[in-house]
Amino acid sequence: MTMLEAAYWITQVLLAAGALCAVYRVYRGPSVLDRVISVDVILIIVGSVMLADMAFRRHQDFILFVVVTAVIGFLGAVAIARYVAVRTPDSAEAALQADQQAAALDGERPGQESAPAREPAGGAAEGQVSQEENESTSWFTALTKSGFRPRRTDQQHRDGQHDGAPPDADQSGPEQNTPGRDGSGGRGGQR
Amino acid sequence: MSLDAVLDGVAAIFMVVGGLMSLAAGIGLVRFPDLHSRMHAATKPQVLGLLMLVLSAAIMWRAWEWVAVALLAWGLMILTAPVSAHVVGRAGYRTKHMRADLLTHDELAATVERISRQKGVRREVSGD
Repeated sequence: MTMLEAAYWITQVLLAAGALCAVYRVYRGPSVLDRVISVDVILIIVGSVMLADMAFRRHQDFILFVVVTAVIGFLGAVAIARYVAVRTPDSAEAALQADQQAAALDGERPGQESAPAREPAGGAAEGQVSQEENESTSWFTALTKSGFRPRRTDQQHRDGQHDGAPPDADQSGPEQNTPGRDGSGGRGGQR
Repeated sequence: MSLDAVLDGVAAIFMVVGGLMSLAAGIGLVRFPDLHSRMHAATKPQVLGLLMLVLSAAIMWRAWEWVAVALLAWGLMILTAPVSAHVVGRAGYRTKHMRADLLTHDELAATVERISRQKGVRREVSGD
């Protein structure tokens, strides 16, 4: 076994181990975004396997796949991050509850909201799915136009349990959010 | 020691380093605690690992016309990887797929805090 052959097999074993770790993360991954980046890594590792094979056997059969891999991974990641961001399994209930809370708060204080800020709550008649998507994707533009966005599940991050769906976040969400609505004083020393 | 042997040795070293980058990405994906640190690990085979393997293949082929094609593959990857990482990271920040307690400094939180104070928008990354 020459040195090149040894390097080839060592490389393939390393790539296979990396791909198995990425598959485990796709299986475990708590959110869609974790799975997106893991699938991206798997795609690149497959391209790397083909590149190593092309280098060892001195042929150029798979070079087109390696070129196309970049574009495919890019398009997949951008599309999924754009449209599936809110539909994570652990935040679906919390998002529903937060939207109801937002509607209730808008009913209490209609005078403090400007016109673009009331736009997400006004779309409640269109159904929950489209409302969540609009709110998630247009958040930063809504922020600069004084948009309104209720707080989602904060409890899980503080508890360190990122994976599971915490049941306590559902009860403590509204009680924490309601005084924070009053002004900036309550939020000043938060962090 | 001929030139061919030297080139083969260099290509072999590049190949193994590229494989090590992919293994590091896999271990990072499994071990790291939240989305953004996993993204940090996932970038390794995208840029460095692919560069190493492309260089290895280009050295092994010993043909200049295929070097252009191989560098095209790597150039496309290095053009698109920051964009997709930016989009995924932004979506993760907005939907809070991150552990705010693990951050040493959150520069975006200061901006969100400032705008929140003026306009009455909620904090995005919390910490009560």
